[in-house]
Amino acid sequence: MNNDSPVKAFLVILLTALVCSSLVSAAVVVLRPIQLNNQMVDRSRNIINLTGLIEKGVTPSDEEMLELYRGMDVRIVNIDEAEFDNELDPLSFDPRRAVNSPELGVNIPADQDRASLGRRSRYAPVYIVLRDEELDRIILPVHGTGMWSTIYGYVALESDLNTIAAATFYEQNETPGLGDQIMRPEWQEQWAGRLIYDEVGDMRFAVNHGKVEPGSSTWLYEVDALTGATVTADAVTGMMQYWFGPHGYRDFLDHLREHGSGEH
Amino acid sequence: MGSKDTFIKPLLKENPVTLHVLGICSALAITNSLTSSLIMSVSLTAVLVLTNVAISLIRKHLPSSVRLIVQITIIASAVAIIDQVLTAYLPDAAKTLSVYIALIVTNCIVLGRAEACAMKHGVGTSILDALGNGLGYSIILIIVAVIRELFGNGSLMGHRILELVHEGGWYEPNAMLLLPPSAFFIIGFLVWGIRCWKPEQNEKADFRPAPLPDSEKR
Repeated sequence: MNNDSPVKAFLVILLTALVCSSLVSAAVVVLRPIQLNNQMVDRSRNIINLTGLIEKGVTPSDEEMLELYRGMDVRIVNIDEAEFDNELDPLSFDPRRAVNSPELGVNIPADQDRASLGRRSRYAPVYIVLRDEELDRIILPVHGTGMWSTIYGYVALESDLNTIAAATFYEQNETPGLGDQIMRPEWQEQWAGRLIYDEVGDMRFAVNHGKVEPGSSTWLYEVDALTGATVTADAVTGMMQYWFGPHGYRDFLDHLREHGSGEH
Repeated sequence: MGSKDTFIKPLLKENPVTLHVLGICSALAITNSLTSSLIMSVSLTAVLVLTNVAISLIRKHLPSSVRLIVQITIIASAVAIIDQVLTAYLPDAAKTLSVYIALIVTNCIVLGRAEACAMKHGVGTSILDALGNGLGYSIILIIVAVIRELFGNGSLMGHRILELVHEGGWYEPNAMLLLPPSAFFIIGFLVWGIRCWKPEQNEKADFRPAPLPDSEKR
């Protein structure tokens, strides 16, 4: 057939599209299970690194990570009722989907919305680390709106439910080289040991606008600024203020402090 | 042109980056780490080979009116497949390279080779041409990445080579090398160096400034 006839052009395009799209689809279908497994390992690593269960410098294999993760005590918290929920299945509950559901989500009052979220899920999956039957750490999910993206992270608290044991941010799309420094392990490491609330129970944690001087009045509650990323740093502060404030986990943490985690 | 020439020429004499100045976007963006550069090099070479072969196979049946559309469709599919493979087998690297793998579609080297070589030559020549150009691109990427990572961060592929001052060593890293503009300077120096050595690479001047009228001469 003549190469310049419109019919030939049409056929060539149709065939190319068919062949190319089936090749791409095949690649996606074949590789999907491996990618899902990677995501699981990734999520497990984020959580396990906060538990204090692995020693520093030890890197468990992917299988060990998944094994440790499967052994975690994960529970659903009803944030508004300030207690554990016994009805939802912690393994299948998807908080991101719950945000927009009429029953599972709730609007955040504008004057409280320090994380600029608009809405949040009523429930959150939290991870509990027990040592000798006693609560050792609790890992709480947090998220908030940064400069360009929603930032997702976890904060692990010590058994006093006030000292930060570790924190991590695992998903963001902030400015490369500036805001995305929140992903740097060195920056996340300085969170360990900071306090969230002061003696009278006011939420004090913040990202400083400079370097935190040891011994200064805010030293116990603040971490160093991120060079050139004020908006992202303030977003992290806002996110912490919201999630550890009255509309966030505050009541739940108070309740847990008084009653312990045993009522599950 | 012998088949050996097809492979050797793009390495230095007709290097896609330093002579044709193509593929600069990724060369600037990801060369701050040697690991990313190696993965990018392999990915681009793989895409080049796949697309050159595919296009060379069907070149006699491509109506010229739609040939660019078909070429881009093939390139985009090859890139999508490579992207999927990377997220499956090298998830951490794929995360760092993020959008730049997908941007191979717009890397002018790929479409350039499809048009310049695969449309006119058989499969054998096209493979050699793809490998040669992929390697030519890789050489430049690796040179730039070694300079940037070694002097910008004191490491190579994440392994500490020079002890940094703030870790108790002696080397004060040059942070500018980690920013994209530094790759621009390094590639500029490479182009300059190669053209001093092989002056035939210099382009002829496009025009000559008109002589000044006498009244303006001093």
